[in-house]
Amino acid sequence: MSDDPSVGKLRALVAEFEPDRGHLMPALHKVQDTYGYISRQAMEVVARQLRTTPALVYGCVTFYYDFRTHPPAEREIAWCSGPACRLRGGDRIREALQHTLELPLGGISADGKYGFHNGQCVGTCSEAPQVWLDGKVVGDLTVAKAIELGRSVRGGA
Amino acid sequence: MNARLQTIIDEAKARVETKNTNGREKVNVCIDTSSIARGGEETLAKIREVAEAKGLRIDIGVTGSWGFSWMEPTVTVRSAAGTQTILYANVTADRVEEFIEATVVSGGTMPELALGVVEGTATDDIALLSDHPWMKGQERRLMEYIGRHDPVNIDEYLADGGYEGFGAALELDAETIVNQVVESGLGGRAGGGFPAGRKWDFLRTATTDERYLICNADEGDPGAWVNRVILEGEPQQIIEGLLIAALATGSFEGYVYIRYEYPLAFERFKKAAEQASSLGLLGKDILGTGLDFEIIPFLGAGSYVCGEETGLIASIDAYRGMPRIKPPFPAQSGLWNKPTNVNNVETYANAPLILKNGPEWWAGVSDCEDKGTKMFTVSGAINQPGCVEIPYGRTMKELLENYAGGMKEGSTLKGFQPGGPLSGILPASDINLPLTRPPYQERGMFLGGGGVIFFDQTTSIIDLCLYFVGFCEDESCGRCTTCRGGTQRAVEILRRMANGGGRNTDIDKLLDIVNTLVWSNCLHGQFGATSVKVALKFFRDEFDEVIREKRDPTRSLPGLISYVITSPRDESLAAAKDICPTVAISESAGTYSLEDAKCIRCGACKELAPGAIEVRDRFAPPIPADVAAAGG
Repeated sequence: MSDDPSVGKLRALVAEFEPDRGHLMPALHKVQDTYGYISRQAMEVVARQLRTTPALVYGCVTFYYDFRTHPPAEREIAWCSGPACRLRGGDRIREALQHTLELPLGGISADGKYGFHNGQCVGTCSEAPQVWLDGKVVGDLTVAKAIELGRSVRGGA
Repeated sequence: MNARLQTIIDEAKARVETKNTNGREKVNVCIDTSSIARGGEETLAKIREVAEAKGLRIDIGVTGSWGFSWMEPTVTVRSAAGTQTILYANVTADRVEEFIEATVVSGGTMPELALGVVEGTATDDIALLSDHPWMKGQERRLMEYIGRHDPVNIDEYLADGGYEGFGAALELDAETIVNQVVESGLGGRAGGGFPAGRKWDFLRTATTDERYLICNADEGDPGAWVNRVILEGEPQQIIEGLLIAALATGSFEGYVYIRYEYPLAFERFKKAAEQASSLGLLGKDILGTGLDFEIIPFLGAGSYVCGEETGLIASIDAYRGMPRIKPPFPAQSGLWNKPTNVNNVETYANAPLILKNGPEWWAGVSDCEDKGTKMFTVSGAINQPGCVEIPYGRTMKELLENYAGGMKEGSTLKGFQPGGPLSGILPASDINLPLTRPPYQERGMFLGGGGVIFFDQTTSIIDLCLYFVGFCEDESCGRCTTCRGGTQRAVEILRRMANGGGRNTDIDKLLDIVNTLVWSNCLHGQFGATSVKVALKFFRDEFDEVIREKRDPTRSLPGLISYVITSPRDESLAAAKDICPTVAISESAGTYSLEDAKCIRCGACKELAPGAIEVRDRFAPPIPADVAAAGG
């Protein structure tokens, strides 16, 4: 997933996209879906393909929460920032997980093994408070359960 | 009716009929994001596995969500003869074996999991679904077939009256279509309520030929999943609505901007658009009428302000999704600087109902200023988080009691937040307000897009404000200083209050920010601190207590409480010590102590040692004046 792709491969990947047709976001999605993140090199290739500047592409990439400029961690805990979770101790879960993982929201461990992210509410509020572990909902949490989950992810379980 | 459309509908009906009369039981599992969170996919896999192991000749399918989010996974079983369909709830994978045994192999029912009879007659122990207390009183129009239809089988939509609204529109000229929508009173469903028909008319009468439609499916309000239920449950209804709007406005391309957090909705919508194209319902010269219309499903990438129409347009247009000042409005200059109509998913989805059944029927369901039905999702300290469709004008109380299932045991309603971070926080005493925009406007806020949150006595108003304004701060695009700096400053003040540093001047400062934010460029900033503004009206005492007394009545604000060990030799403290993520609890010779400076107030210890740890006010109550005077 995270091999930095060659310029040739990147060009081929985004060859279908055209300037001034609203293709920047689809092109960036395609790069991220393929490689897991959007490298500086990819931004330059996309910019060239769409006849725009790397700075504009970079501006777009960094504007959105879900575009990544670095490879994702092997395991990811995404914390649900939604209101139903908040009402049931969600913020205390965030605080506890930050300390358990020793990562801020948006952080990745130095060895790239695990990351901690902010997740947006998608309306699975019956499970509140919840986090996603590698995209799968872990709901009905208590702070203690969240800490145990964090420890097991950190310990490589 | 257009002859080619009639043929498409007839052929779809025939295919559905063939499937329905093939003599097999049909087991359909609700697979939507809510159901998946509760194990829906595992249930589906298990049903397939059991059916194969037992050599059952049954049809296994997928549907969207009925709205019973708190009881997913839900499953319908249609008898082989097709005479009876029953809806079951909480069919988790571990119960599939006995479930299939009871409902398919033995040909009976499983009353303990049954919600009701969808089609057929009630049995001794299973009532009609329409008599279920949660279904009663709902007016399911948009949701009529959500939960019954396979969202990615256009045939099922066509067989149940789908595209008849478009068929009716094809017989009318653009002006008449617009007039019907105007007459219906259909207002924008995202909260603005602007008459959709008037918006369409701006486009219809535009002087430029190149016009665009945009469907805003960037449902970012935390706690709202109304649009997701439609996108994941009946995507064809959105496509049909867009087609009607295309006819009415003379647009040739429609973008459907779906938030990144809804991958299943995006995938289903894309498939639905492909199916419509393959039947000739999208593309060039649709049904030989000369109408050209393409739909482009567009995936967002995580940004709340892209739900603001000009932010959304900028996002498609290959820029950062930053809203701009209006005017010009999108109807004058939108996508690629061409006239553009932006409506919400639910707004477009209503158009087929209006065209098919007439504006009078459509509007007749509600007796208040807002016409038609509205879908609401409910969450918070309630028993039944789910999605319902009721006419505008019912009361908030009805929503809470009849559909949200009332407050959880031990919870008393303290207040509610009717819709989205830009809306306000209202007290329990407003629970009788009708669900229509005017009373909320009187309170200086929005009713919102349908995501209602009920909270109880354990929720701090200061924390809620911090949450909502904090959300707006995070999501501010940063273009105007008013919004960027205003929300930031409000968050700083609220956080300081929550940490015990509230000052007497804070309320005036907050009000100053609230009154300044209204000069922001877009709605996001203008309403970014509405939560604070309204909360200050109704919960002023709580602000005062937190600021002046440094005491939080909910004992939840981290800076105003302390965790204190009350039984230092209690054995349960061993687990509390182990769980503490900051090693704040230590033990010496069987006695435990807690170091306040290390404690982050996460509360994990108290969960494991509830009898040995107490949450106390961090600051001792002030000494009463008479005691102080007596020297003591």
